[in-house]
Amino acid sequence: MLRASAAAEAAGVPSSSLVCDGFLGQGATTAVGLGLPNLPMAKVPGHVDTQSDNELRDNLTSVTVKAVIENLTAAQPAAVMIPEPGPQDVVMEGSFDEINRFFYENGWSDGLPIVPPTRAKIDRFLEFTDLPPEHVIGKLLPDNREATVWNVAVNGVMAGCKPQYMPVLVALAEAMADPGYGVEHSGNTPGAETLITINGPIIKDLEFNYEQGALRDGFMANTTVGRWWRLYLRNVAGFILHQNDKGTFGNTWRVVLAENEDALAKIDWPPHAADFGHARGDNVVTITRMTGGDVIASVFGQKPEDMLPYLADALISQTGWQLIFTVGMADGSYTPMLVLSPILAETMAKAGWSKEDVRQWLFENARIPAWKFEKYIVEFTNFYSGGRSMFELAQLGKANELYGESKDPDRLVPLVCDPMDIQIVVSGDPGRTNAQVFSHNGILGFPTARAIRLPNDWKNKLAGAG
Amino acid sequence: MSEEQSLWILLPTGQRASGEWIDDTLHSRASEQGLLDRLNQVAAFPRQRVEVVRGPNADGQVNEMFYRRGWTDGLPIVPPTMARVDAMLRGGGQPRNMVLGEAQPLQGIVTVEKVAINAVMAGCEDCHMPFVLAAAEALIEPEFNLRGVQTTDENVTPLLMLSGPAAKAMHMNSRFGALGPGWRANAAIGRAVRLIMHNLGGGWPAAVAFAGLGQPGRYTLCLAEDEEFNPWDSLREELGFAADDNVLVVQRAESVVNVTGGLDDLASVMASATSSFSRLHGGAVAVVIAPYVAKLLADEGRSKADVKAYLHDNSHMPAAEFENTWIPSRLASQTKAPRWVKAALANGSVPAVEKPEDITVIVAGGDIPIPQCAYMPTWGFPSCRIAKKVDLPQGWSASMES
Repeated sequence: MLRASAAAEAAGVPSSSLVCDGFLGQGATTAVGLGLPNLPMAKVPGHVDTQSDNELRDNLTSVTVKAVIENLTAAQPAAVMIPEPGPQDVVMEGSFDEINRFFYENGWSDGLPIVPPTRAKIDRFLEFTDLPPEHVIGKLLPDNREATVWNVAVNGVMAGCKPQYMPVLVALAEAMADPGYGVEHSGNTPGAETLITINGPIIKDLEFNYEQGALRDGFMANTTVGRWWRLYLRNVAGFILHQNDKGTFGNTWRVVLAENEDALAKIDWPPHAADFGHARGDNVVTITRMTGGDVIASVFGQKPEDMLPYLADALISQTGWQLIFTVGMADGSYTPMLVLSPILAETMAKAGWSKEDVRQWLFENARIPAWKFEKYIVEFTNFYSGGRSMFELAQLGKANELYGESKDPDRLVPLVCDPMDIQIVVSGDPGRTNAQVFSHNGILGFPTARAIRLPNDWKNKLAGAG
Repeated sequence: MSEEQSLWILLPTGQRASGEWIDDTLHSRASEQGLLDRLNQVAAFPRQRVEVVRGPNADGQVNEMFYRRGWTDGLPIVPPTMARVDAMLRGGGQPRNMVLGEAQPLQGIVTVEKVAINAVMAGCEDCHMPFVLAAAEALIEPEFNLRGVQTTDENVTPLLMLSGPAAKAMHMNSRFGALGPGWRANAAIGRAVRLIMHNLGGGWPAAVAFAGLGQPGRYTLCLAEDEEFNPWDSLREELGFAADDNVLVVQRAESVVNVTGGLDDLASVMASATSSFSRLHGGAVAVVIAPYVAKLLADEGRSKADVKAYLHDNSHMPAAEFENTWIPSRLASQTKAPRWVKAALANGSVPAVEKPEDITVIVAGGDIPIPQCAYMPTWGFPSCRIAKKVDLPQGWSASMES
């Protein structure tokens, strides 16, 4: 909400942002990133959702209203720049243990040992991009720090990446900086974690695991690129727990999910990146912020019609409050993902089903009663207040017309607004009949793909890299 | 360089909620006031939580560096190494990142860790930490008016009075020299409070703090109420706490005025222009009564309330004299005087404070037949006598090992 206030202040209109107690620290640091460190905030004591009407009224009148008046009438002090070490400063010299302790204690590490980012190591990474180190990829909220090729490499060294991963890291930083992704939401309270998927021959070039255990740590490329993502969010965007990262629980970073392109080629299904306009054979990373998910074990059946009801049921069971991203907040931005093991995809393809057929079937069958959908977005989360039914919302143009076809509360309605909103990826143990479903954080981490640009002479450089 | 020769130092200085370091503001102020020749490293420090200082003589380097950065009271400090701060935090029993509030006027965030860092620097023992935390909490209470205390041209400073059994356990002096040097608890706890005001609130003398002279009590002003020679209810019981509680009472005090004598001598000092600010602002003053004098009073059958009433009744300044004193005649017009002062003046004289209850009385001092008493006038709005019950963590003892 501070971003709206920042826009008002920038336009010369006084603002006052109402901020709940628990968010004042985040508010203050976010305001700095927005270039308005003294953005006026009015405290709302406690958590409003757990207060009675009387408590809330007392709190607002005794504390908040006074601050609002002060905010709107007093001149705010001018902004002050906060100095920090320069990008190329040597901040510490010492032993491996000392560097690690120093980085951890200063909040620059995730708690695992880092590889000390020495100039020599950084230079090796820079050999794997044709961009100059000072090239600015974008600015990352909330700290509004510049993402540069240099700091991509620094964090790559720290994460334990190999220098040749650099093109992947640069593409990821570009995706992170894409306004369509919404990196600024990465500290929200549901605490979703980004899933990186990767396509193209670079999967084999860099030895990403795309088979058994595809989502487990254990392969350097998958593991360290995943770790880089989280370090970059920390050190450049500025998401730090107990400060800007307000994830209630959160979870560990996810390893990179590489697609099994051999399996795709065999059944002539397009790669995941094709959803975002990229061709087969393109090297592409895609980021999507996932709130969670589950494995779907032992998908039994010989035909798609036998297997798909179970997968549809999994999409339903892993989708609850996230429906606010289908109706309510950035409608139609909910894009869950189904990861099929190769054998499942092959079984469907053998029956003549394309990926689009599978999506279409799931779209038509992964449905829930309208009353249940309404429960999530209205009653449970209080996200959509006012007591309107989805039929009414659709009539008013506030929900996709799919939801306005009938008034019957028992009618079945889809989880997403379009079959294309169901992402399908093929990976994992080629011989096991398991699948994985990921529920998604909607507009607050919308799927964003970026082509990976390889440096000149990639093959030779790679051969020399070891 | 071996790790043993390196000091891993936590930085004592304040950051605002927005992340700004107060040193950047202080750099401008110190520059305007021409202080940068002495404090020639102000704001020149790595903007991070931890800094590593390499030996040899790392201790000396830290001391020189901290002094030049403006982070000390001028005396050597104990380098706040991570290990020392961790031990101090264990002594306090509160979580490191807990935020107590903001220290005025520069609004550095007062976290438990920042308090511990400054306590280490001040020379506190780990067992002192709960008392430093209580003092820090008192300082940031709105009624303490830390902004005023830090920025006024008056010489006011926090007065810390500890009432409770822990005082004796940790050797906080309440006898000979209770307001003088020699006892670590008195010296270090009071000094920690000053360093917190300095490093988190930014109350740098001559840059932000413009007290005309300051006072020695700005290094430390901390003593215990004597348990044994106090013939009356303890201060904590008087304020509604239990006899076995430890209660830190914090007031705003101008310099300590020595009074050799009894109640009449005390009252005559209180009646003088020393009490100008309580006559301008109201507020609570403090009186320390020597054990010998207290015994005589008690033997005469006088209660503490009687003592306060007597001091109040006998601390009047005649109206004509009052109106010629500096503050009403030159500084503040009479219209600003509190209602009780105007009423008293209409009756011909004005007492030192509005009510007898505005006089805090404790017994402390040498336990021989000497009448060394003291008066501590006050300054500033609003009336302030902040009592903090000190929660001691489980396992607290005065001989805590780090």
